[in-house]
Amino acid sequence: MLSWSSHQDGTPADVDALASGDGDAGLPHGALLMAFAEAIAQWDEAALASARDALVGATSEAFMIDAAAVAANFEMMTRVADGTGAQHAPEAMADRTALAARLGMVERP
Amino acid sequence: MVAPGARFTGEQRRRIAEVAVEAYLAAEPSPPWVRPYGDPALDVAYRLARHAGTITIDWYEQIVTEGLHPVEWVEIVGVVVAVLPPVAFARAVGNPLPVLPAAVEGAPHGREADELAPARLNFVPVAAPADRMPSVVQALSAVPDEWDNLWRLAEVQYMSDRQMDDPLWNRGTLSRPQMELVAGRLSLIRECFF
Repeated sequence: MLSWSSHQDGTPADVDALASGDGDAGLPHGALLMAFAEAIAQWDEAALASARDALVGATSEAFMIDAAAVAANFEMMTRVADGTGAQHAPEAMADRTALAARLGMVERP
Repeated sequence: MVAPGARFTGEQRRRIAEVAVEAYLAAEPSPPWVRPYGDPALDVAYRLARHAGTITIDWYEQIVTEGLHPVEWVEIVGVVVAVLPPVAFARAVGNPLPVLPAAVEGAPHGREADELAPARLNFVPVAAPADRMPSVVQALSAVPDEWDNLWRLAEVQYMSDRQMDDPLWNRGTLSRPQMELVAGRLSLIRECFF
């Protein structure tokens, strides 16, 4: 979805940056957004507050709130997928497996 | 969420939700292979809330063999994925965490898909016919009320199905690629293979 939407948007994202967490992935405020997402996915409250404040400082409170909502949605969708054993259809797996390897992800357990 | 569900009472669903929130926020969580409650439903809620990426089909089958019905598993997933997003959102924006309301009394209502089918794209059963839609879309279809909850939450937090087809759709704050960057980075850290 990142690759597709960013190409359509005219700002092709650097998917490798998504894997490493380094840089801004070629998107405005990309580094701050990745830091905020990382902080939400971890349990260091001070780091979360710092990432939140940095994002608000560079953008706006409304921007941060919408980013938080997206993160909350994927705290949900990742568990739907993992909790029901969701897989991609076989015809899509070749591309998906290649992307997973690029992102440094292991095969589904 | 704390009203009676398809197979669990409101009190049971509230306890599942409570365990999920505790697991999600635990400073020192049990490792994935530990079953802290010795109760299949609560152990599933705990592992899904805190170690979702470690859930395997083998573990699912083990829990079902112990007596948890596959539809009960789906209902537990529905409760966990409904209770965690508001907690995650409140924590992310720095607001007080929401408090679970009291359970609604009453017997389980039994609303389930008219016909269940084994799926190729999920290890849980889904509403028949299986595999006519993407796996995450059919995932909770065995329990229509949980399916409704899921997609109502998704529409509020992210976007509707219709909006998803438009790569330029946004809320006027984040662009669509920025939204997907947040989604992708969080999913990667969660080690969600899907």
